[in-house]
Amino acid sequence: MKPGRGGALLLLASLALAAAPQSRDERSASVGMRSRIEQVVLAGSELVAAPTDHKAPVVLRVLAVWPHGEHHRYDLEWTGLVPGRHDLMQYLARKDGSPTTGLAPLPVTVTSVLPHGAMDPGEAKPVAPPRSLGYSALQIGVAVAWAIGLVLILFVGRRWRRPRVAAPVPPSLADRMRPLVEAVAGGEADAAAKAELERLLVAFWRARLGLRDRTAAAAVAAIRADAEAGALLRQVEAWLHQPTPPAALDLAALLQPYRTVAAADFEARSDVR
Amino acid sequence: MTAVQPSSARFAETREFLHEIRSRVASVVVGQDVVVERVLIALLTSGHLLLQGVPGLAKTLLVAAVSKTVDLAFARIQFTIDLLPSDIVGSEILDQKTHEFRTHKGPIFTNLLLADEINRAAPKVQSALLEAMQERRVTIGNQSYPLPAPFLVIATQNPVEQAGTFELPEAQLDRFMLLHRLEYLTPADEKEVLRRNAALGVRRDGKGAVARTEFDVLGEQASGSADRLVRAMEDVQQVHVSEAFLEHTVEIVNRTRRHPKLELGCSPRAGISLVKASRARALIHGRDYVLPEDLFALAEDVMLHRMRLGYEALAEGCTAPQVLQEILTESPR
Repeated sequence: MKPGRGGALLLLASLALAAAPQSRDERSASVGMRSRIEQVVLAGSELVAAPTDHKAPVVLRVLAVWPHGEHHRYDLEWTGLVPGRHDLMQYLARKDGSPTTGLAPLPVTVTSVLPHGAMDPGEAKPVAPPRSLGYSALQIGVAVAWAIGLVLILFVGRRWRRPRVAAPVPPSLADRMRPLVEAVAGGEADAAAKAELERLLVAFWRARLGLRDRTAAAAVAAIRADAEAGALLRQVEAWLHQPTPPAALDLAALLQPYRTVAAADFEARSDVR
Repeated sequence: MTAVQPSSARFAETREFLHEIRSRVASVVVGQDVVVERVLIALLTSGHLLLQGVPGLAKTLLVAAVSKTVDLAFARIQFTIDLLPSDIVGSEILDQKTHEFRTHKGPIFTNLLLADEINRAAPKVQSALLEAMQERRVTIGNQSYPLPAPFLVIATQNPVEQAGTFELPEAQLDRFMLLHRLEYLTPADEKEVLRRNAALGVRRDGKGAVARTEFDVLGEQASGSADRLVRAMEDVQQVHVSEAFLEHTVEIVNRTRRHPKLELGCSPRAGISLVKASRARALIHGRDYVLPEDLFALAEDVMLHRMRLGYEALAEGCTAPQVLQEILTESPR
């Protein structure tokens, strides 16, 4: 071999080695982390991942398989679920069903960041609360308690809430009218008292004439049309609203019947209308 | 409240004038005595009137009849969604001959303006009109123009067909002294309307002819004049208002403010309007002093549109007229 040609081949071989992907050989990982062992040659016929259940401490996948002479070359991916040392060969089986005896172990180490025994997945079991009676008995008990409570609220509770002190009775219209009549007849009433007296007189006749269901305007018109009430109302209006009240108006005599008015007088009279 | 009393002769003359207007309008418009009275009250107190009623209740005819009877300038605007403020108040237009802007005054420059279906116009247009109603002057360009006196707006709105309308807010409703709700005629009045309409006949016009309408019956002869109206307005100011009447008014207005079913009670403007309208009503009824019956008769038209029911009252099915009657008939405290 010429020295120049040998140097070129050496350079090409170096470049090829540099460009070739580095196979991963991860033999240790923490719980739950995926790891790979690539380009591992295992003797004999082709191997596949052995079926496992959900309690298996390691999950193994065969990512790729290539023939390697009489043997096979594998890319494996494994995930450790339980801390400790495990043999991946335990999770491989022959594709043709023959035993895997004679194969060298493929150990991996699964580490944990938690202290040993801190967690025990799969061990939690539901614990039924202690119950002396069955569910039906419980339902019946609740229903009985609810019915007793309802009876107590309806009968006993109402009695408790009955007012022990009678509410103050507001003064009747008659009670309010009498002092106003006295004040007006005595010439001591101001404009507000006179106006209130006029409103009370309208309310009085409205009740007496059975005009409660009429509108205010219709009621006043009906009062004015009544012989007794109309005469009174017109005189009161003349005294209160005319620019110069009639000189002949005897207010004391006009209001005399209302000095002794009683609460019953504000009720509708049967002989009217 | 004291007032200088008008002489009995002048008072009698005013009574006759008002009676004449009512009779003349009644000869054209049947069965709307209360509305005619409300229009007169608005005229005599320079208040504005909002009429609420379904179409076909002779609102336009009524206003036209009043304006012709009193010999006032009358204009009518049909409010629509595309109406612009300048369509009402006027605008500045470029004169092609002089190349200068000149002012074109809108239909608001009149004595009696009928704003038909005011709730159909956009709020901007409503505001333009209501501003003019309040200030009695309008601004076109940079120039401000006073409106003629007397100036009265009678607006109408339809209580049905609310789609595409803009309800007047409370603040703008408050500008109307009265809101009168028109009712259908009684069967007897409606029969009289039909009888009169059947006797209208035909009006010849050149070689053709058209069927006569109630507007043709109005005629051109005015029975009054603006001068007589002004004197009547002055007489309204002389109507005596007693202290007791003021007490009643304040009490009723205050009851609206503390009533549990009302969310919004009446404004002070309601009290002012009640007294003003009561004075005019007293004069129309031949009195030189107001009585509580004026208050009760006008309360619905003056106060209802200034009150707003609360949520609970609405949920209970209460209506504003019911609550107002409760307030008016409530026994004194």
